[in-house]
Amino acid sequence: MPSSPFFVGLDADGAGAHPAAAAVTGLSGADLVSGARLARTVRQAENAGLTFVSFADALLPAVPGSPAAARLDSVTRAAFVSRTTTAIGLVPQVPTTYPEPFHVAAQLASLDIAAAGRGGWVASVTRDAATADAYGRAVVGDLAREARDVVQVVRDLWDSWEDDAVVRDVATGRYIDRDRLHYVDFVGESFSVKGPLITPRPPQGQLVVLAADGDVAPAVGSPARPGPAEQLVDVTLVGGAGVSTAIGNAAAARERSPLAGINIEVVLDAGGRTGAERLAELRASTPAGVRSTWDTRALQHVGSAAGLVQLLTDLATPGPDGHRPVDGVRLLPAVLDVDLPVLARDVLPTLRAARLVAAPRPGATLRESLGLPRPANRYDVRAPAAAVSV
Amino acid sequence: MTEFPITRPHAQVHFGVFFQGVNHTTVWSDPESGSQTDFATFERVIRTAERGLFDAFFLGEGLRLRESRGALHDLDVVGRPDAITQLAALAAITTHIGLVATQNTTYSDPAELARRLQSLDVLSGGRAAWNVVTTDNAWTGANFRRGGYLDHALRYERAQGQLNIARQIWDAFPDGTGAPAGSGSSDGTVAHVSEHSALFEVELDPTTPRSPQGHPIIFQAGDSPQGRDFAAANADVIFSRHGSVLADALEFAADVRRRAVAAGRPEDDVKIFPGTGIIVGDTPADAEERARWVRWNQVTPATALSIVGNIWGEDLSGYDPDGPLPAHDPVVEELGGERGSSTTGARTREIAAQWRALAEAEHLSIRELVIRNNSERGFQGTPTSVAEDLIRWVRTGAVDGFNISPWIVPSGLDDIVDRVVPELQERGAYPTSYTGTTLRHHLGLRAPLTRRTAVGAA
Ligand SMILES: Cc1cc2nc3c(=O)[nH]c(=O)nc-3n(C[C@H](O)[C@H](O)[C@H](O)COP(=O)(O)O)c2cc1C
Repeated sequence: MPSSPFFVGLDADGAGAHPAAAAVTGLSGADLVSGARLARTVRQAENAGLTFVSFADALLPAVPGSPAAARLDSVTRAAFVSRTTTAIGLVPQVPTTYPEPFHVAAQLASLDIAAAGRGGWVASVTRDAATADAYGRAVVGDLAREARDVVQVVRDLWDSWEDDAVVRDVATGRYIDRDRLHYVDFVGESFSVKGPLITPRPPQGQLVVLAADGDVAPAVGSPARPGPAEQLVDVTLVGGAGVSTAIGNAAAARERSPLAGINIEVVLDAGGRTGAERLAELRASTPAGVRSTWDTRALQHVGSAAGLVQLLTDLATPGPDGHRPVDGVRLLPAVLDVDLPVLARDVLPTLRAARLVAAPRPGATLRESLGLPRPANRYDVRAPAAAVSV
Repeated sequence: MTEFPITRPHAQVHFGVFFQGVNHTTVWSDPESGSQTDFATFERVIRTAERGLFDAFFLGEGLRLRESRGALHDLDVVGRPDAITQLAALAAITTHIGLVATQNTTYSDPAELARRLQSLDVLSGGRAAWNVVTTDNAWTGANFRRGGYLDHALRYERAQGQLNIARQIWDAFPDGTGAPAGSGSSDGTVAHVSEHSALFEVELDPTTPRSPQGHPIIFQAGDSPQGRDFAAANADVIFSRHGSVLADALEFAADVRRRAVAAGRPEDDVKIFPGTGIIVGDTPADAEERARWVRWNQVTPATALSIVGNIWGEDLSGYDPDGPLPAHDPVVEELGGERGSSTTGARTREIAAQWRALAEAEHLSIRELVIRNNSERGFQGTPTSVAEDLIRWVRTGAVDGFNISPWIVPSGLDDIVDRVVPELQERGAYPTSYTGTTLRHHLGLRAPLTRRTAVGAA
């Protein structure tokens, strides 16, 4: 048996992953961003037994000047639903390129605290120059270096408090033990961060870090950081034009991260129309000048729920060697209001009945739902042997 | 007691709660004291405040852990969540109370911060506010990409630039339902934002629609002349330090109103909410005893020595907290930034001389002196007398409301909500229900400054 459960994540951004989703559903900017709608969507995803929802994000709109491109900050959205859900993982996309790593670390740690350990992070890369203009900064030239340095320092900051740093020692008046707090003293090529973080270590120790294949390289050894290269990503998400290419990409990605999953864009048969008809309509409704998030390198499933069940069954069923082809998938529904109900009614129950996937348990951390261990603190110098010999 | 004339006989008392975060004034050593980071603690405080019809729940911010002479300061409550993230989680479990995020202008990027604040405002249905703070120093800057790059003299210029960009972003979307009617673009498109000034080169297309209150309310916490001018020109509410002595609060209020009028605004346009504490007892003697207990527990022996040691610039932990101040002068001239903002740059010898004079005049030990300095912190008495004091403060025009820091969490608001609020209500000086759902409505604010047809229009 594979040790970790097969995960099924869902991107729950706005009207859906297709840039014409808002146009075809007729959702206004105000509908798109309403808290009630957000809470309802994520509740539906939780009830469907999905492992996590991700929230795609960018500082700039997909269609400049269009109210239908309305979108709220992803960490804020994830935090908002942290108390309206109890089991599902909450995974905002936050770019590594321009935001302040210190703020990112504090925001994500705070999400994990509010969500009782259900937080994750899609660490992404911003490739357009317009975002640099919005920040009033020079364009970051070396995106890979920046992504690697930012994820590394955010991980350092999450460990900058040991789990038991708050001692509340009434006898001496000490609230914290300063020996259990650590300066990270990170010095990268483009920035440095002193630390420690202002927020204690998050419940998971480290939030689950997801990244698209190739976006975040392992940390390299340096004079300041001797030792082997450090894996910075927990879950790599791969694409691929066809299933076998995607599986091959995932197999390669497993060399670089504990888990690898496939991004799958889905357009399901729904409401008496085929997925292909729906996709044609979406294409025809796509506004001019859109910064497309569709037709990425993701695998696509356009068609029936049964077909998707078959695809996911193939991906989740261990082969003769006992290993599954991939560890999980993240579904990118073209239109949330159309595709999510089909997933909830016709796809996930079948997979659960076949015991290929399991709904996360209420109270479980996202790491637990993914079968990932809670990491030791990199700054904790106490030898494990000493700890047990007491 | 000097009598001050009642100038606003029908004014109502307003309350906010300031969840302190980093501080030594919540008594964490008390057995009743809860976790300072568990969500449950925040939830209990905000639910109590909402039950008590408070206008707002505030979170502070500090972007580097404080130090004492090069080592992390270990005596205070420390470790707090990011304000906007935490308030977003709290937004989902509350319906009326305002949500105020303290956010620094020096270490944030304007487009990103404006978007995060507006996201909170939209998700909460128009309940968000931004408490603008400008604390700056290279020491805090060491946690950020730009480092300590900003000259202290420029911090309010940067704050103004940030706010100008934020307003453009917030005003870029056409007005939607629930937003104040006004001059928003009516052609249904989102305006492009462009700011080019000495400190900013920013161009973007915004993504965040307007909320039912238009955009986040602006609070300001800062006390320098520039800080007050910034507030007078921009803020809806001043979060002040003048919440213990009525004469001082009245003087501050007069100053703020003068500055508001000079900035072309109606004099009541900037609401005044001092931070304060409230301790109630069954009798005056009971209240006095509780207050004394709280003060002694806020200032532990170690805290007393640390506070005095910070002024003297040396480790005084070997001194007797029940003994006299050091006989010699402070070994440093000025305070650094690492102990937080309020005393940065203050002249240590002047402070030491004042303290010594006070200690000698009143025969105070180190610990007694620190407690004495700490003690003018708001209101104490029976529920009735506290209510009457609060009403006097509001009706003399000294303040519009109070931002209460409970001395213990999560239970510290219970007495106020259960005992003081009913006294205020009986006297017609406190609402008996929320009459709106936005923070702008609770505070009785006019339309956003950028959406007024003429200055002064209601
Ligand atoms: C009541 C009050 C609360 C404050 N809260 C914070 C805070 O949470 N975080 C912070 O960085 N600064 C805070 N400040 C400090 C001000 O931001 C600081 O004084 C700043 O440098 C403003 O400058 P000024 O007082 O020189 O005008 C607060 C100030 C006051 C008066």
